[in-house]
Amino acid sequence: MSRFAGLAEAVAAHVGDGDTVAVEGFTHLISFAAGHEIIRQGRRDLTLVRMTPDVVYDQMIGAGCARKLVFSWGGNPGVGSLHRFRDAVENGWPRPLEIDEHSHAGLAERWRAGAAGLPFGVLRGYSGTSLADHTLTIAPIACPFTGEELAAVPALNPDVGIIHAQQADRAGNVMLWGISGVQKECVLSSRRSIVTVEEVVDSFEPRVNGVVLPSWTIDAVCVVPGGAHPSYAHDFSERDNDYYAAWDPISRDRRAFEAWLGGMRDGVAA
Amino acid sequence: MTEDEVAEEIASGMTVGIGGWGSRRKPMSLVRAVLRRGADDLHLVSYGGPDVGLLCAAGRVRKVSYGFVSLDSIPLEPHFRIARQTGAVETLELDEGAFYLGLLAASHRLPFYPTRAGLGSDMLACNPGLRTVRSPYDDGEELVAVPAFDIDVSLVHMNRADARGNGQFLGPDLYFDDLFAMAAERTFMSCERIIPTESLLEEGPVHTLRIPRLHVDGVVEAPEGAHFTECPPDYGRDEAFQRAYAATARDLDAWDRFRAEWLELESHDTYRDRLARWRDS
Repeated sequence: MSRFAGLAEAVAAHVGDGDTVAVEGFTHLISFAAGHEIIRQGRRDLTLVRMTPDVVYDQMIGAGCARKLVFSWGGNPGVGSLHRFRDAVENGWPRPLEIDEHSHAGLAERWRAGAAGLPFGVLRGYSGTSLADHTLTIAPIACPFTGEELAAVPALNPDVGIIHAQQADRAGNVMLWGISGVQKECVLSSRRSIVTVEEVVDSFEPRVNGVVLPSWTIDAVCVVPGGAHPSYAHDFSERDNDYYAAWDPISRDRRAFEAWLGGMRDGVAA
Repeated sequence: MTEDEVAEEIASGMTVGIGGWGSRRKPMSLVRAVLRRGADDLHLVSYGGPDVGLLCAAGRVRKVSYGFVSLDSIPLEPHFRIARQTGAVETLELDEGAFYLGLLAASHRLPFYPTRAGLGSDMLACNPGLRTVRSPYDDGEELVAVPAFDIDVSLVHMNRADARGNGQFLGPDLYFDDLFAMAAERTFMSCERIIPTESLLEEGPVHTLRIPRLHVDGVVEAPEGAHFTECPPDYGRDEAFQRAYAATARDLDAWDRFRAEWLELESHDTYRDRLARWRDS
């Protein structure tokens, strides 16, 4: 059952050094607030998982939180590369970063299998590419009916899954709506989960594309209005495109990044 | 299209997916047309209701793949029950979740999906065609492999559609009609009413538009097309008619009369005329 907690308390309780941690959300509903709290608390040696690592993972990698990244796309959407991520992969700064790179379909299938409690998922992907030569978690599997060889991918079951949602009710159930990604799968597959929400309500209304996560799937609910900034929360906030553009020169320069990191750790608006 | 034009697309021996759920939003006018046109040796894939029962009773079915076959208010579909108990049809009898994975695999153009459903039960013993698959990872776990349903034609019934094949459900549940449409080589959709595309949001929000035209090969306007199954909010189940239908399973003469009176009609319009008279009487 979920309980309400402050974000700092929830991260301290549920995110440990060396854990596998996923902060999910697909352009929409990305819990930047939780990523920043993990940086502030100085977590190390994390295996970070995310289908679309963007600015929040660039920040966490640059801050030295991560040992490894499991992902299926990486970039500053609409702007360009993640230069902290590149610096870690290419130059080992501030520390080396292992990568486990999948296609979107492959990583989504890993989430689906994890959420279903299965050891692996299957897909008609990767064939005709050399990705399997570089991504050792992809295994061949033969269809027991047709004999056709398909790709298997192992289930994702992170230690901690973190998402942002619009609402929680007073019993700690959570509802999100609008464009969704793998938030449901992230929470269901993770051993522990934290959800940051915009607000607490007495009851949920039906919404387009609504997803309700029952309280028993969640460990901590943290009320963090604006916690998705600079991404957005449908019906609550707009995407702050200027932030993403402004990130590029910071990300390109280690000193500019360290200045940003110092300000963020000191609680200056990030 | 008309019901008969759809039925002409269904040849003997085909695998036919039928949307809806038990005695709910079944494309009954299309099912009657298939029955009328005489295709046989069919393999039906369905969360089954009277669609399966009617075609089994008429001797048109070789095999049924199903999660259940029920009339809801009458738990066991009586015509299907006879077919099952006399061994008249082959069966692939899955639980609803495994059945869903067969639809999903076909929708994703995969030959199978793995599941734990059925382990520790007689599902494998009762379905010798099922196989298992072993995890290629260190756990080495053995799971049930659910084969993709290789569906030639799916039939679904929606509340509204436009002439291009965008379908809308206005009731409480889509069931898995989107997957039936996606899984099949071709899909034909009947609907209560064809409306202009720009009117599709007048009766329901955008998330009720769940059958996209790229999965649909033909649209039939069939008011009361789901009768006697329910099609809310347009109408509920015709329980009196369903009871009369179910009673024919125990009496061959009654079945012959029912078939002549309700199934061998020239069109859905004739069926509706007769239905109006039956209700008045």
